[in-house]
Amino acid sequence: MDDRLLALVRGASPDRSAAPSPSGDRSFEALCRSASRADLERMAADLDAWRRTADNFYHRVRAIFLLAAIHRYFLPPHFASASASGSKIPFSGVKLCLERRFEEAIAIFLEQQRSDGSSDPLSSALASAYQGLAFKTLAQQVQKTVRHVRGNQWMFRMGHPLDYPLRVRPELLEGASDGPRPVLCEETAVRLDLSHAAWSDIFFLGMDYPEGAKVLNLSVNLAVHQSRGAETLQARIETEKSKIAPAPPVCAFLRVIDEPVLRLTSIDLGATVDITTIEEVFDFAKDYLGLLKAAVIAAGIVPAGLEGSGHALSEILTRLCGPGLGLEIASQVRDIPKGSRLAVSTNLLGCLIAVAMRATGQTSSLTGALTESERRTIASRAILGEWLGGSGGGWQDSGGVWPGIKLIEGELAQPGDTEHGTSRGRLLPRHTLLDAEAAAATTRRELQDSLILVHGGMSQNVGPILEMVTEKYLLKLEREWAARQEAQEILRQILAALRAGDIARVAELTTRNFFGPIQAIIPWASNAYTERLITEIREALGPVFRGFIMLGGMSGGGMGFFVDPAHKPAARARILEIMQRTKRELQHALPFAMDPVVYDFEINEAGSSARLRTGTEAMFSPEYYLFMVPRWLRQDPRSLPRSHRAELDRFAGRHLFSTGDRPLVAPLMQRILPPPADKTPDGASLRDLLAANGFDSIQHEQIRADLRAGRIGLAQNRLPSTTTIEDVREGDVAEMELRNTLAGARNDDASASGAAALRAGRVAVITLAAGAGSRWTQGAGTVKALHPFAKLAGRHRSFLEVHLAKSRRISRAFGAPVPHVFTTSHLTHGPTDAFLRAHRNFDYPGRVWLSPGRSIGLRLVPMARDLRFAWEEMPHQQLDPQKEKVRQSLHKALIDWAANLGEASDYTDNTPLQCLHPVGHWYEIANLLLNGTLRQMLAAHPQLEHLLLHNIDTLGADLDAAVLGRHLVDGATFTSEVIRRRVDDRGGGLARVGGQLRLIEGLALAREEDEFKLTFYNTATMWLRIDALLTLFGLDRASLGDADRVAAGVRALAAKMPTYVTLKDVRKRWGNGQEDILPVAQFEKLWGDMTALHDVPVRYLAVPRTRGQQLKDQAQLDGWLRDGSAAAIEALCEF
Amino acid sequence: MPRIRKALITAAGPQQRRLPLQSLTDRDGATKPALAIILDEMLAAGIEQVGLVLRPGDRPAYEALLAPYASHLVYLEQPKPNGYGDAVRCGRDFVGAEPFLLQVSDHLYVSRSAKSCTTQLLELAEAEACSISAVQATHESLLRFYGTVSGSLVPGRTGLYLIDNVIEKPTPTMAEQQCVVPGLRSGHYLCFFGMHVLGPVVFTLLDEAAAAARGERFTLTPTLAHLASREKYLAAELAGRRADLEAPFGLLRAQIALGLHGSSREEVLALLAEELAVDSGRR
Repeated sequence: MDDRLLALVRGASPDRSAAPSPSGDRSFEALCRSASRADLERMAADLDAWRRTADNFYHRVRAIFLLAAIHRYFLPPHFASASASGSKIPFSGVKLCLERRFEEAIAIFLEQQRSDGSSDPLSSALASAYQGLAFKTLAQQVQKTVRHVRGNQWMFRMGHPLDYPLRVRPELLEGASDGPRPVLCEETAVRLDLSHAAWSDIFFLGMDYPEGAKVLNLSVNLAVHQSRGAETLQARIETEKSKIAPAPPVCAFLRVIDEPVLRLTSIDLGATVDITTIEEVFDFAKDYLGLLKAAVIAAGIVPAGLEGSGHALSEILTRLCGPGLGLEIASQVRDIPKGSRLAVSTNLLGCLIAVAMRATGQTSSLTGALTESERRTIASRAILGEWLGGSGGGWQDSGGVWPGIKLIEGELAQPGDTEHGTSRGRLLPRHTLLDAEAAAATTRRELQDSLILVHGGMSQNVGPILEMVTEKYLLKLEREWAARQEAQEILRQILAALRAGDIARVAELTTRNFFGPIQAIIPWASNAYTERLITEIREALGPVFRGFIMLGGMSGGGMGFFVDPAHKPAARARILEIMQRTKRELQHALPFAMDPVVYDFEINEAGSSARLRTGTEAMFSPEYYLFMVPRWLRQDPRSLPRSHRAELDRFAGRHLFSTGDRPLVAPLMQRILPPPADKTPDGASLRDLLAANGFDSIQHEQIRADLRAGRIGLAQNRLPSTTTIEDVREGDVAEMELRNTLAGARNDDASASGAAALRAGRVAVITLAAGAGSRWTQGAGTVKALHPFAKLAGRHRSFLEVHLAKSRRISRAFGAPVPHVFTTSHLTHGPTDAFLRAHRNFDYPGRVWLSPGRSIGLRLVPMARDLRFAWEEMPHQQLDPQKEKVRQSLHKALIDWAANLGEASDYTDNTPLQCLHPVGHWYEIANLLLNGTLRQMLAAHPQLEHLLLHNIDTLGADLDAAVLGRHLVDGATFTSEVIRRRVDDRGGGLARVGGQLRLIEGLALAREEDEFKLTFYNTATMWLRIDALLTLFGLDRASLGDADRVAAGVRALAAKMPTYVTLKDVRKRWGNGQEDILPVAQFEKLWGDMTALHDVPVRYLAVPRTRGQQLKDQAQLDGWLRDGSAAAIEALCEF
Repeated sequence: MPRIRKALITAAGPQQRRLPLQSLTDRDGATKPALAIILDEMLAAGIEQVGLVLRPGDRPAYEALLAPYASHLVYLEQPKPNGYGDAVRCGRDFVGAEPFLLQVSDHLYVSRSAKSCTTQLLELAEAEACSISAVQATHESLLRFYGTVSGSLVPGRTGLYLIDNVIEKPTPTMAEQQCVVPGLRSGHYLCFFGMHVLGPVVFTLLDEAAAAARGERFTLTPTLAHLASREKYLAAELAGRRADLEAPFGLLRAQIALGLHGSSREEVLALLAEELAVDSGRR
């Protein structure tokens, strides 16, 4: 292999002991950019051969990432000019990828490449398979290390109750006959990181580059600042005086009980279960108690080796506690909402593991603080627990188990370590507590007094960001590497500032960290909400503002603002007010899970610590009883166990009839007799919304009946299996090559006639923006069009703004303002309208129209049959074995949920807006007729003849004169734009169905493999000839004003369109920022099916990927930015 | 190391008080108290004087049963039940400045070689001229009963380890982190056999431990851990097995082990076979 490439794979130095860094003179990017297609193909072949024999694990993984990058970023530009390259992706390889058998998939793709030559589709498949292989290899390595960490191994060996080694401490067995058994209570801080040196706590980074893995984190106690009720700023400042003191945010309770069960309770999630079988302990997603179950396993109470052993849980409990006895463990998060970026769940896991280890004699002392080696064991068990539960965090996350401020650093693996010989670093880092010299008491106090911790209210999945960081690190991109070095330097300077007692300097450094290295590596760590908050708060506070700090992996949720400590109360009230206002303005554009809150916090100098409550004190928290007492009261008093009755008496004596500072009578009554549910935030009930949005109850009942009878459903979406599906033939598709499409740049006839049409104002743009964009925010119910998804031309822009900017550029270039329509629905209309008004249409020179929805559906609880079909019959990406296990457990729970709620019953158990659904984009075009928008447009612009129809997420679609020209010259009713299929382009394409050339939806294909026969993917961008379109509806320009004729025309054409049943995810929010993602059934009619009408002339154009690429998933954004797509879109815009 | 003449046997633990007096049939078919079996093995190995640490008030029962050994026995009393460390410390004056053999009274040892376990240990101690404890590889589920050592193999020697640390009754977690010794089956650790040869320095260390405990109970293990940090201290796997009389079915197992390794082997086998046959017939 080329020496330069070899040096890159090895990370500059061939000496394995040295820290990896990018090659001094040439980086991978520089090498690839200057390489020809043949060079790149040779590099790929060399790398692939080399990786198979490489003995160093990280070199091997890096080689795989380099291969993925070559195929994803560097080879595709070379294919663009060779439009004829047309190899298809073998379905057998795609299927293997879905099964996570990436090596075999790569072999199949490479074989195809050898026979057909390299091509864009094959490179996309190879990129995806190499990336999957790289992450699978990395994950397997971490999992192996977690299992092999000393102190964890025995739990995987232990497979028989006779070998069970643990016993509860005798102190916990005392007091059974004459009084309550003692309660062990553990309290743990959460961690707040001042810097994670650019996500250096990701396992793969720490284990490959321990020298660079450094985190400075604080253990903190929290209390949500109680000024939410105060209306005015002054009132808020007043409430400062009556604040609740911060406490350790997570706690766990444990006691021995007189029943041979494992009773697990999550007090804050309101869930409890009596577990009697070992299998149930390993069923993580069945209820909300997965974290407690993972803790029970990771603490060794039910060792992992017992899974599937067939033994009874009672055998274990007998050995652990004694005959007839069991354990009760409860967890509680004290009012800290989810998404706080303070690693609440990891520290709760650590807290639970600590209490369980103490109770079973795995720590030296039952109460008080923990020793360093015990804390390390808990940290490694927490990593194990997270892996078991199918989640994963960084290695600093259990920092709340330690006290005070600590520097956490990666360590080089030494001979004798399980990691030695595989990775350069150890799995577990070293924790160094900062002493009084490194951070004096006054400095700590000033830090507390200067930093205002907040939860901005956004809920986002940080997972994709961590994957991006890992990939970029392993590719050793120049920019990433420089940023990483800078982040390390910033951390060093923060340490120096703490030593010098200069908190203002700390604030300056954390701000620099956020705007510098963090965003240089991952721009998506920031968002429009955060940046607007920083700007406004900086402006509002003036010199009082000192800086910003991002917490955890990304911003928007947990964050911090540094202020002058002398003005903290006023600043805190001001910040809360700004956050609440900004959230209200952006709540339809960004996924918020809750209203913003401000915390009070203090540094926890104790770490995780425990107390034993005995005698009359032997009780759980008051919140536990608020949750449990109503349940006990509902039971038949004769069947209520004696222990519960005794506990009720104690609770009543202690909390109900005493004159303590927190009377619980009122909250208890609220639990027993809950107040009626509130109306929706905007005051509208579901019934109102249905009436206002054209809900057709007759059609709805028909759909329900059809669904229940099995006449429609996921399986029935498909065409008969006898239908022949073939790829396009020669001449079916015309290739479009776009260079510079502005006026005058091209002289061919088509471009000229396109330009003439634009100058004459004969074309309008219809952007389909009625959908909820379920994939984009996983069902958060926000408006995708308004999402400020990326920075273009210097600031965050929404989809809507980008589309208008393209039309503005065309309007200016051709001297004729383009009418631009956004279709909306019940979900998107109000917010879109308000957004456009607030921004005064972004000063768009032409008319902007909104076309509101006139059809609406009510979501249904899915049929168990359809859920099984989706999850068991349809091919889907498998996860790693542990995550897959968790997912299957979740699927089982969701199928039970559907069956219990009633299959095909109305889905009404959510906010009204989440219960309704738009009925597919076919209706969005029909609505233009029904709601009069098209009529008004034609009245205002009688010269209009053509429409460009495209999806909100197809950013490259614009009024390109050349493409328009082709549409005009060809004279078809519809001109549909397609692109060459890449491996991720799923959902149908252009096919000959029974000989007829048409667009076909993926869910209508009888066999999954048929999709990969199809060279072209449907971009959903289409040019429409207005008059011909009206004819299809049985209308003309004159009859558009006749509402009855329009309705009849729409109904007649709708009857010819197939109805698809689909499953969508909706989020149900509850509790404190908690969310469930539930599958619901809905129906749709899709516009692509119009091409199946026999009497309609349709022309198909193959356009370049940048024009047809859709952004469906936020995880695509980074690749979209890196491969130059973002820059290409920017060039189409005029902001 | 000079020849080892003295031994200490502790029998003052709350569970130990009567167990050593239980009758068992030894390898030669003679029925005698368990403690007598231990004493026979010691005397045969060359021990001349045995100090027996008892609880106050227990002496008459022992004297009555151990009359044949009276000339070799010195009865010592542990005034208060202050732990195993304190019990050993009670032998200080009896032992004096010599190395000594320390055994517990509720374990029996069944050798697999011609030499008894006691002889094996004494020979090793004299050859190595240092403190040495007998150990046995023990499954992690039983760690809660024993002191456990961590260490490394002495180069070129089989079954002989240099002790780094001693931990009292560790959990599997702690054992895995601190007591893994190369060469053992997975999940097995070196646990005390209940038989040690210790130098008189142990008493100095025990005095320190007693002072630190301020009248509270203290065990021997921290003292042995301290010893390991001060001087060469070995652990030896002997050719033999320990039978813990205190464990569930301990007496039964000890009796079977003795029977199978003695002159009545066939009789014991026949007895076991008969019991099994009757049992399987019942099912």
